[in-house]
Order: sequence, then structure tokens, then C-alpha cells
Amino acid sequence: MKKQMFKALVGAALVAAGVLSAGTAQAQNCSVWLVENSRFMKVPFGMFHPDRSYVQGSTDARNNVNTVDLPVNVGVIKCGQELILYDNGWNQTDYHKATGTEHWAPLSQQIAQLGFKAADVSKIIIGHGHWDHAGSLDEFPNAMLYVQAEELRGIEWALNYPGHERIRAHNFDKGGCNRTPACGYPPKTVDSIYGKVLRGKAVIVNGDMEIMPGVKIHAAHRAHTAGSQLLEVPTSIGKLVFGSDAYSSWEAIRDWEVANIQQTDSVQQFLAYEKCYKITGGYQNCVAAHEPLSYTDKYPLTKNSWVGMNGGRLAEIALAPGEASRKK
Amino acid sequence: MSAANAAPRSLRLNNKTLALWVVVALLAGFVAYAALREMRKATLEVQPQAATHAFSDRRPAHSAAEERFAQALWNIHAEVRTAAVRMTFAGLAYKMGDGDRASVNTKVVPLTAVFRQAESELRALDAPASMQETRNRYAGALQLYGKASQVMVKVAHDGDDAHLLKAQEMSEQASGILLEVSEQLWPGEIKPN
Repeated sequence: MKKQMFKALVGAALVAAGVLSAGTAQAQNCSVWLVENSRFMKVPFGMFHPDRSYVQGSTDARNNVNTVDLPVNVGVIKCGQELILYDNGWNQTDYHKATGTEHWAPLSQQIAQLGFKAADVSKIIIGHGHWDHAGSLDEFPNAMLYVQAEELRGIEWALNYPGHERIRAHNFDKGGCNRTPACGYPPKTVDSIYGKVLRGKAVIVNGDMEIMPGVKIHAAHRAHTAGSQLLEVPTSIGKLVFGSDAYSSWEAIRDWEVANIQQTDSVQQFLAYEKCYKITGGYQNCVAAHEPLSYTDKYPLTKNSWVGMNGGRLAEIALAPGEASRKK
Repeated sequence: MSAANAAPRSLRLNNKTLALWVVVALLAGFVAYAALREMRKATLEVQPQAATHAFSDRRPAHSAAEERFAQALWNIHAEVRTAAVRMTFAGLAYKMGDGDRASVNTKVVPLTAVFRQAESELRALDAPASMQETRNRYAGALQLYGKASQVMVKVAHDGDDAHLLKAQEMSEQASGILLEVSEQLWPGEIKPN
């Protein structure tokens, strides 16, 4: 009898311990890489970063750079068995050729350089739905997409706006749609997002969400688009915050200046910057999508870099315990 | 000094004075020119960079007839693209719970007419021989969109999401064609965002 009671008590204790440990799952450090999906060449600096507009003859280092080359950075995050992408670039070969974009390769091939297979990508978090950040979803059929409901509702609101046509313009003219609310979402991109939703491969997020222990989506609505979202990731070098185009420029986060103001509410962009300062303790660990200094010593987080296929660059940002370097 | 010598001396002084004035006038003109030039330069320096485009247009030069066709198709394309995105969002809104099955019907039925009208306008365009294939491809995309819209509204009758899936596949295929035509005719259509 005593023996049976003892066994029952031990069993109950084990169950209780299991339940408790499940309830307090510890955040594990993740490994993080950055991949340059492509590079937009010779973009006027002032178009990207207004406070850095070019002034001919200026000796001020802030205003004597005419054009910059902007990388399109994608985050590759490995947390245990989960392989996560933050943003996913754009996959139109002919478009890149036609526009003089350089360094491009299919994202699935770019992550293969790190030893990852497209089929192993389990989650894709898009910082927003613009074509150059949500344009390769079809390459990752197994991945669950995370997109803010507000992002989708914001586009639909604009498309159906009853007033002036300029507000509801999807693309006002050839290259002239900048800053209209529905600009930047070509039919192909929204069809890909919709396809994920229809196939049960999308989570439509309302606000903040912890997608696995320590890996958290933070809503940053209107920090670049209606439903922009950030991603907090725990690593061995501290927490990182990915910001997509809410964090287009790392220098702008450092200097508290707006950047890449497409559908941006500047106050919300600053609040998104502040979120990174709060979470990481400063600006060093804020991961920017288009920072021209990426993959150089001047953006220290990304300095451990190398050149891969088609001249595209990669950076190894942090390794989890036991994770071997994938730098080649 | 005699009075006889005074006149020539005065004349000599006048010549010197005149020469001096000429030099002064030249210098003043030079200074004025330099000042104007600097002012103009300063004005130019604060001009915004709006004229500079992010992307260079590297497409091969089109003939005048091709350019006319590209411009005419652009006007159709603007309507088509918006209608295509609206169709997608009709489905997305339904799946997000922002509308019932009937709302899909309400939103999508008018779009069928937009795609049909666009095809009719496209067929009426004066396309040079070099653009016939482009026109046919675009027409193919419009037919796909049209079919997608007709399939999509079936969900309003039976609630079967299979219709949405089938329509989405057709729509995405059509959207791919639109991008290919866009790359050929309007490579700057979409800019870095």
C-alpha cells in the first residue's frame, strides 16, 4: 500500500514538474544571419534619408553624398529546430535586370549558402507587405506566414477610399505612386500573401504576439506602412530587434531621423526606434533593412560579413551555444 | 612750369584717368559677373534632387508606334492592376472575417466587367507588329482574371473555399504575366519601397 502511494506521489510530482516546466519555457538564444537579397544602385540619398539630402559643394559629411546603394536585407534566424525568415526579398529576375539592381539571387539559393533548405523554413515574418519584402513567399511553401491584420486592412481601406483618386491610387503613374497608401503592393505580391492565407499557411496577427519563447512580434503600425511589425530575437549578444522598413536606416535610428518615408507616420517611426532602444538598451542591435553601411565596420552588428553568390553579401551576427559558424 | 606746357600735361592726366576708369569698370564688371555666377550657383545647390530617378531606364529604345502602344496600355493597366488587387482583397477580407460570403459576390461581380472592358479596349488598340505578342499575353492575363472572378463568386453560393483557391491560382498566374509585360514596357513601374 505504502509502495503504491509512494509511486503515485512520485508520478504526480513528475507530472507537476512537467506542467510547470512547460508553462515557464525558457527563451533560448537563437542564431542569426543577414542576407543581402539584392542591392538597389544609385538611389538619391535624400529620397531615402531626407535629412541627408545632397547639397552640391557641401563639405558637411551629412550632405555631400549624392547617391547611395541600398541593400535589401533579409534576416535568417535559427531557434532550436525552427528556421525563421524576417522578410523575404523579391524574385523577379527580369525586373532586376531592367532596373540595374545588383547582387540578386533567389532567396532560396542565398540561404543555401548558409546550409539551409527552402523546405526547412518554418516561419516567415514580414515586416510589411511591400513587394521587396514579401516577394519570395512562393519559394517557401512550408513556411507559416505572419502578417499584421492592420497591414491588409490598411491596403483595402485605401483601395476603396471614396474620396480623391490620389488616395486610393494603387500606382498613380509610372514610378509616381510613392506615398499613396496602397502603393508598393503589386498584384503578384498580394496574390502570394492571399495564397498563404487560403492554404492555411498564414497567421494574421493582431498587435503583439510571442511566436516562440522569447521571439516576439511587436506591432509598429504606421511606422512604415499601416501594419508594420518588428521582431525581437534573443541571442548570445543580447536581444536583437528586426524592423524591416520601419528601420530602413540604422544611421537614422542612431540619429533619430526619419528614413524611407513611404506610408510612414514619422511619430510612429520614432516610437518604433524607441522600442528597439527599450528592448536592446540602445541602437546597436537594431537590424535595418536598407542601411547603406550594412556588411561594413561602420554598422558593427553586420561587420562579420563575406561575399557570396552574384556579389551578394552575408553576415553572421550571432551564434547560439553549440551552433557552428556558417561563414565561408 | 609755363602755361604752354600745362595743356598737354592736363591731357596726359586725362588719358591716365580715363585708363584708370576703364580698368576700374572692367574690374567692377568682373566682380559683378562673379557675384551673379555665385548667386546662381547657390540657387542651383538648394534645388531638390527630384529630377534624379533611382533607377536608370535600361530597356531598348522603342519606336514611336511602340511608345504610343505602351502609353495606351498603361492607361488600361492602371485600371486592371487596381481591379486585380481589389479582387484579392475581396477574398482576404472574407477570410479575415471582415465580410460574409455575399460580400465576395458584391465586391467581385463588378470587377468581372472591368476585366472584360479592359480586354475590349486592349483589342481595339493600334499595336505595331512588334507588340502583337505582348498584347496577346496581356489579353491572356485579362481572360485569366475574368475567369478567376467568375470562379471566385461561386463561394457566395456554396461556401466552398475550393473556389477561392482555384481563383487565386488563376489570379496569381495573371499577375505574373502583368509583371512580365511591365518589365518590358515600364521597367520603372515599381520603385524601392
